[in-house]
Amino acid sequence: MVEESRPSWENPMQFVLACVSYAVGLGNVWRFPYLCQMHGGGGFLIPYLIMLVVEGLPLFYLELAIGQCMRQGSIGAWSAINPYMGGVGIASVVVSIFLAVYYNVINAWAFWYLFHSFQGTLPWAECPLSSNLTTYVPECEKSSSTDYFWYRETLNISSSIEDHGGIQMGQALCLVLSWMVVYLCVLRGTESTGKVVYFTATFPYLVMIIYLIRGVTLHGALNGLKYMFTPKLSDLADPKAWIDAATQILFSLGLGCGSLIAFASYNHHNNNFEKQAIVVSLINSATSIFASLVTFSIYGFKATFNYESCLDRMQLLLINTFDLAEDSIKNNNLDDWISHLNASFPDKFATISSQIEGCDLESELDTAVEGTGLAFIVYSEAIKNMGLSQLWSVLYFSMLLMLGIGSMLGNVAAIITPLRDSAFLTRHFQKETLIGMMCLFCCLVGLSFTTRSGNYWFTIFNDYAATFSLLFIVLIEIIAVCYVYGLKKFEKDIEVMIGHRPHWYWKIIWSVISPVLIIGLFIFYIADYIMGGTPTYQAWDANLGKTVTKEHPPFAQAVIGLLLVTSMMCVPLVALITFIKKKKEQARESKISTTAS
Amino acid sequence: MLARVLLALSLVPALAQALCQPDGQDAYKVRLSIKTALGANAYEWNESEQFLFRATLAFAMRKYTGQETFNVSSVIVCDETPRVSFWFVVTNPNDTATLIPKNAVEEAIRLSRNRINSAFLLSDKTLQFLGIPPTLAPPSQPSLPVWLIVFGVVMGIVTTGILALIIIGFIQRKKKEKTIEDEDEEEKQERIMENGISCETLEGKDGVNNGAYSHDEDRLTQL
Repeated sequence: MVEESRPSWENPMQFVLACVSYAVGLGNVWRFPYLCQMHGGGGFLIPYLIMLVVEGLPLFYLELAIGQCMRQGSIGAWSAINPYMGGVGIASVVVSIFLAVYYNVINAWAFWYLFHSFQGTLPWAECPLSSNLTTYVPECEKSSSTDYFWYRETLNISSSIEDHGGIQMGQALCLVLSWMVVYLCVLRGTESTGKVVYFTATFPYLVMIIYLIRGVTLHGALNGLKYMFTPKLSDLADPKAWIDAATQILFSLGLGCGSLIAFASYNHHNNNFEKQAIVVSLINSATSIFASLVTFSIYGFKATFNYESCLDRMQLLLINTFDLAEDSIKNNNLDDWISHLNASFPDKFATISSQIEGCDLESELDTAVEGTGLAFIVYSEAIKNMGLSQLWSVLYFSMLLMLGIGSMLGNVAAIITPLRDSAFLTRHFQKETLIGMMCLFCCLVGLSFTTRSGNYWFTIFNDYAATFSLLFIVLIEIIAVCYVYGLKKFEKDIEVMIGHRPHWYWKIIWSVISPVLIIGLFIFYIADYIMGGTPTYQAWDANLGKTVTKEHPPFAQAVIGLLLVTSMMCVPLVALITFIKKKKEQARESKISTTAS
Repeated sequence: MLARVLLALSLVPALAQALCQPDGQDAYKVRLSIKTALGANAYEWNESEQFLFRATLAFAMRKYTGQETFNVSSVIVCDETPRVSFWFVVTNPNDTATLIPKNAVEEAIRLSRNRINSAFLLSDKTLQFLGIPPTLAPPSQPSLPVWLIVFGVVMGIVTTGILALIIIGFIQRKKKEKTIEDEDEEEKQERIMENGISCETLEGKDGVNNGAYSHDEDRLTQL
């Protein structure tokens, strides 16, 4: 009869689904399609798949092995590998805390949009009226109703990062709700998490399949799909494509945060994680590709819709100015009419020449968007033009929510597991209290992202909190396992667990190829940062109705530096502290032995 | 006599034409987009439709001014185009040479806009009076925003769930403590000495050395 042994997953399927739920997140939906578009459409799959096999899979395998072997969270696991390496675990926890704090804000936004979908007309479908009820609000007219809903009614964004504004009540409420949902899912540990992931892992796929079916049947979707799948192989010569592929794989799989170690630590000692690692990584990449199919059909629909609206607008302009019959100008002879009218009535034409737009489908498709812009603006714009838009809106934002919460479970597990491993904390606090306090802390800090300038801080965290630091952590991880701990020892551990040694392919990647690759990425990031000058951000200008580029003020740059330094410093700091401690112990031991003899 | 009547008759349309000038001070331009609004059910714009328009406008003037002297003849139309757009003016029924000022016409149209639109199965967008902006319908604002209601429901469910789980956990812990107290002292002793995974050993993390990994014993295995 065991009193409280380490909790574990009820069955291996829960572990796999937890990993899938964690790895398959918003990045698959809003970053990968963007990269595809930027780097030559279908051709991007080549560097992506190569990086998956050469970098993603082996590192995923590595982290699962460590977690399952050491049966502790990241801090304990790395301390067990080598006492000097405990800092890696702490760095992972620090990064996970940053991630948890800002990532849940996305869930808050998803909740906000979800709740606003239960209306007759979607609130982002129409511009609100100005006070005299004859025109629309100017900010909305200059941009678009979806932009306006996002920037003004959701974020109530200020014009620069210095302008704090107050906490937006709606956002704050949604953030509190998001944290309560996360708490509900993790408060019983693997027992509750294991059941929740059945849903968070599978529901997004259901929605994506429904969306795919609807998406490809939308008018103009094929334009988008054609655009995506015509590979422009010349783009592969650009090193940026390969670098983006490498970083995307790394971050998409969620390596270096300690979540995988935490999840794997609840496994049975003999769980065959090798097969599971391959399965989860492949599912993650397949989901990215699948999500791009959906996204590109939506893109195609939206671009075609905008293109045809543009043509309609031009038609209307011409027939109104020249009083021609309604159906005289059609889409295909618009250009002929324009040149004819310009030639026949040059004066009259000159009065409207400033309003003539060149309607171009290609340029509509070329507008590549990523991140929150894609998820909350582009998609909602497409949804408002679909029939039954409320239904599609609810489905879509529920899916975003599931993806976000699934990833949050991993983040929170990465923080909670090391905390629960600490005997001190477990003795003094109940599991629920500890987790509750952590959620409360993160929620309170996260409230700063619900202020009027919150989105600018969010972007800072999104770009800097978990990018460079993770590269560093992953690099130290590989070096620690391969060279400090010893590849031979590691091999033996794996053999004990799954019954056979890892194939030589894995060993070569771990010891040689991955470190080289990551050092390369490192150098690129540093070079990019040095050459980039002052970091800038996109600020929303309410008067112009669009974003303008502004430079980060010094305090924002200081925060960026702090984000990078706090996590990376842990590694050398802990190594130093351990070194000093060991020296003290050695001095004491030698003193005892000399006095004894 | 006949000649004078004929002259007068021929002058009337000429006079009417003189009154109705495109870009005139009291003239309004109307634009209809019938095909856009009705698609396949679009009707042809002809003299009869024009008659209906003038009658509807006369009705609007009657309603606005309260004078029942306005007639179809009070409304003069000119400059019709294939677009289906034209200019119109409204003459004073008491003095056909003068026109009703622009503001009055505008107010009259605003008042009866809905009726005018319905007569032609069109809307504010497809039956345009250039210069008279349509009063856009304000979006319906329910007393409590809908999103708060949904938020309240979800929040309630989540709070109940959290409380339920916490209480269940609490009860389970109390039960476990009771069963431990009821156990035999000897049994407890046995459990501590067992070499299985028992909580006490897990607590002393620093002291537990997993044999597979710690190689400090190398120096002890000299035998």
